[in-house]
Amino acid sequence: MRHSKAWIIWLVVTTVLLLTTRNPVYLFIILGVVLTLGTLMAKQKTQQPWLKPNLRFLVTMLVLSALINTLFTHVGESVLFTLPDQWLLIGGDITLESLVYGLINGLVIGALYITFNIFNLALSIKQITRLIPNVFHPIVITMTISLTFFPSIQRRAREIKEAQLIRGNPMKRISDWLPLLLPLLITSLEKAFLLSESMTARGFHNQRDQFSNRFLAISLIFATFFIFSGWILRLYAYPFLISFSFYLLSGGFIVFALFYANRKVNITHYHRETWSWEDVLSSILLVAAGATWITLLTTGNLPSTAYTPLPKLLLPKIQFQGVLIFFSPMLPLLFHHHD
Amino acid sequence: MKPNLLRSLLIDLVIVILGCLSLLAPFIFQQARFPGFSQSTFPIMVSLIIVLCLLILFFESQTALLDGKMIALLGVLIAINAGLRFLENAIPGPAGFSPIFFFIILSGYFFSSRVGFLMGALTMLISALITGGIGPWLPGQMITAGWLGQSSALLRPLINKFGWKEKPMEVVLLAGFSAIWGMIYGVVMNLWFWPFLAFTPDLAWSQSLSLLDNIQRYLAYYLATSVLWDVTRSIGNLVIFAVMTKPVIKILSRFQRRFTFKYSPKVDA
Amino acid sequence: MINISHLFYQYPNTDNDVLKDVSLTISPGTLTLISGPSGSGKSTLLRCINGLVPHFSGGLIAGEIDVFGSNPIIDGTKEMSRKVGMVFQEPETQFVYDIVEDEIAFSLENFGIPRKIMHQQVSTVLKNLGLCHFRQRKIHTLSGGEKQKIAIASALVHHPKVLILDEPTSQLDPIAAANMLDFIASLKSKLGLTILITEHRLERLLPYADLLADLSPDGRLESGSPEEILMHMDQVPPIISIAKQIGVKPLPLKIEDFPNLELHRELNIIQKDPGEINTQTPVISTQNLTVNINMTKILDHIDFRLYEGEIHTLIGKNGAGKTTLLRSMMGLTPYEGRIQIFSHDADELGFRKVIQNLAYLPQNPNDLLFAESVLVEMQITLRNHQIHREISEIQGFLARFGLEEVSERYPRDLSVGERQRTALAAITIHEPEIIFLDEPTRGMDYEAKNTLKDQLIEWRDQKKAILVVTHDVEFAALIADRVTILDKGEILFTGSPKTAFTQFSEFQTQTAALFPETGWFTPDDIPFSK
Repeated sequence: MRHSKAWIIWLVVTTVLLLTTRNPVYLFIILGVVLTLGTLMAKQKTQQPWLKPNLRFLVTMLVLSALINTLFTHVGESVLFTLPDQWLLIGGDITLESLVYGLINGLVIGALYITFNIFNLALSIKQITRLIPNVFHPIVITMTISLTFFPSIQRRAREIKEAQLIRGNPMKRISDWLPLLLPLLITSLEKAFLLSESMTARGFHNQRDQFSNRFLAISLIFATFFIFSGWILRLYAYPFLISFSFYLLSGGFIVFALFYANRKVNITHYHRETWSWEDVLSSILLVAAGATWITLLTTGNLPSTAYTPLPKLLLPKIQFQGVLIFFSPMLPLLFHHHD
Repeated sequence: MKPNLLRSLLIDLVIVILGCLSLLAPFIFQQARFPGFSQSTFPIMVSLIIVLCLLILFFESQTALLDGKMIALLGVLIAINAGLRFLENAIPGPAGFSPIFFFIILSGYFFSSRVGFLMGALTMLISALITGGIGPWLPGQMITAGWLGQSSALLRPLINKFGWKEKPMEVVLLAGFSAIWGMIYGVVMNLWFWPFLAFTPDLAWSQSLSLLDNIQRYLAYYLATSVLWDVTRSIGNLVIFAVMTKPVIKILSRFQRRFTFKYSPKVDA
Repeated sequence: MINISHLFYQYPNTDNDVLKDVSLTISPGTLTLISGPSGSGKSTLLRCINGLVPHFSGGLIAGEIDVFGSNPIIDGTKEMSRKVGMVFQEPETQFVYDIVEDEIAFSLENFGIPRKIMHQQVSTVLKNLGLCHFRQRKIHTLSGGEKQKIAIASALVHHPKVLILDEPTSQLDPIAAANMLDFIASLKSKLGLTILITEHRLERLLPYADLLADLSPDGRLESGSPEEILMHMDQVPPIISIAKQIGVKPLPLKIEDFPNLELHRELNIIQKDPGEINTQTPVISTQNLTVNINMTKILDHIDFRLYEGEIHTLIGKNGAGKTTLLRSMMGLTPYEGRIQIFSHDADELGFRKVIQNLAYLPQNPNDLLFAESVLVEMQITLRNHQIHREISEIQGFLARFGLEEVSERYPRDLSVGERQRTALAAITIHEPEIIFLDEPTRGMDYEAKNTLKDQLIEWRDQKKAILVVTHDVEFAALIADRVTILDKGEILFTGSPKTAFTQFSEFQTQTAALFPETGWFTPDDIPFSK
């Protein structure tokens, strides 16, 4: 699966799945999926070790989260031992349920981290910068320049460091780094001036009217307000339909405003990604899985998702639909070829 | 320029309010702590709102970038700062020490709040891209670093009013500012992590705790995890600013003339 | 057709005209060479053609410019960029993207050209310039010459009528530079371009130039055919100065045009004496020096000697290992073999002791300068080596470099020549015995090179050991007491300059090419009895 937008869909669906349940079986399924997917992809794309560092992070998160949760919260029925109440904040019952809850939390964070790592593996830096809509063209160019200049600045820094070393700079205290930083800064600023000359000589131009669109800014603000309000309403247990319509409204604002603003910008792009059938298929299936999940959640038809170890630790229930949905992030794996 | 200024201030205010509310929601909204759908959507909603806020701020800040010179200047400065961030991971210094604050604060102070915002947010984004490390906390990092740069612009009228420009007081103020932000940065970044990490619904099972208790709880969490980092960061910032501010500001002043010069043709025979 | 009439221009915050009453007419399809000493306004004049001056730089401008029907002063840079493509001096600093085809498409993206047409135009320009195999390459993996070709492609992709180049070869080595200039000249006929180019090393371009425009330091321009203008110019390439002295008319623009006078039959052959070198203990010597980087052998069993009281030039093609040799002797690269400095093992002496007696001028002298004034730069080095000097002593030292007037000035504001002298002073203020210079003549005009030559000779007479790494064969011929040629990590030759500059075809000077079998290799060798 290659197309950047397909991978974005994958990322969104997987993240939503991860964050909306505490059922350990489901979470383990996703964990297994992303670990497998990641290892396979990493072998293909990069020389650096992938599995070990990610597992290490996962374990760290498990331990950290379990520790914090167990020590700071004191709910649950199966008490392991009790710390004296006078001890600030950690005094009280230390329960098994808190432990398990913490572990599950850590699992979510670890899996989330790994999911994002896969996203980074899948897409090149170029693909990511090209995803940004035209309306942000000045920012995209700024980013491109930084990325292009980065290696040469590192090289220059090394050269300056050597020249100053030979000149006798001991490079010990912080003030010894000034002879490195200052020439680097000056040279870089001069280069920036030359670069902007080169850009200007090739038609790069101040486009005030295209990029300072009042309409877009206001729309985005409205959109944010609507999402926020919808969420607050939900929290206060207003009917789901109201907040959902708020969400829709804001989504509409964003999409509409972006398209409108994009059309005014007169910049074209050299590259365009093409959708392969695998990209299309995966995306459709993933979106379907995600949508099904959300519907099931909101209509409360899938009790296994609402699993929580509190107040009493019980075995989690699993349902077939849930299992199926949680295997969906595996789709890129099916379409994985060695190229 | 007046209506534009008003508009940008308004947008800033809105964003700050939204951002703060999102961050502090767990303290304020008891309902956010119930288990089940609402609770689990919490991190998603916060991230979504933050991303939208970022988009708005980016769009606003672009107005500073419409001149090709500023784009090149910022691009190069970001590359340097991203390089410094690498150092942050490579240097065997005390954890939390972060050399990137220096340029972010100075860009905000020296150029404008818009430039400061871009400097902060894009430093995070670019260094994430380079290390192949886009993570779920990136929007949070971007907006916090962006706020850092943006707020630095507030120092400019302060220093102008008291006439402290190019006097030692300028360095003192900037250094102090950086130290304070060193701590704030840690506090805010923890707030980002908080909903993901220590999210326990125990309040539903005991009496609903008050806001104060919540803050207490958060403080405990904070002390346990990151206060050491933040202190070293603040001290590190103080040292860096003490040593480097004056010469770098001199360099930036020289370049500002060249960079912000506008063409006004006059025929001279 | 480009028509400039009575152009005056002044940079902002200055009060002298960089261009004074400049008038120039350029016919379409011609190549115009613009010459003049550093700081004389050559770059400024070029930038007037595409509107960077005054729209990008500010300042005061007067006069009329017409470039194929457009007026840059009125129409602005975006309009002019459609008609004029520009290539700059530094290959590194021109690129926004890191892949070749993306970079070439940059101007097309700015003009909002539809995608299909963009692809066509990019393919066309790559084909026309013979660069198709570079299409997907990452720019930072290319050599300097290749990068400049990409810059040219980027400037030409939208079919401008005019191509202006600002010292495009000054950062390139001689072979790449010659290659580049042949390439540029071929574009004239192939694409019907009107080309304007500024250059210090005129000799390469003279054969191709239809028009030569010379800018004097006070901002005035003289233009005409190369033969005419060269008669009036002082700073000219060796072949021209020889021709002038002998009285060859018309002035020959290439070696082949020079008449075969067989001077050496008429005059006594005078062969240059290598001079007495102190052949006792060398100041630096290496034995079996081998350097491997990333599994590649960069230096292979080098035995090298540097003596006191000599100027030793190290020449060789790009990638031969010259800089690596320099760096290993300074202790910046790990190596195998032995390096001895002042008869002690370099490792035993330790880095700090070595640098107390060493000065190193890097390829970019700007890397060294950062202080508020020239004086403070000196103090920084002194402080590094923990040497104390009074300000009056430092001033005296600066006077030796002609810098006493500018001692309070900000070094980066000085001219190129003054900046190099400042860098040289900063690295030698602690009176080291060994001086290394890496490509010191990049982008310098004849006058600055002469000043450098005098300084090096002065140091040599003070019995210092000087090693100069350079591509500039003409300059090396003027200063060298001994020459080492490196090729693919091995020493091809070490010995007298006469042999190096006459027997090796790649490093032959113009004089040697003009008068083979005489052993002459600099213009000073030729005995003019007139």
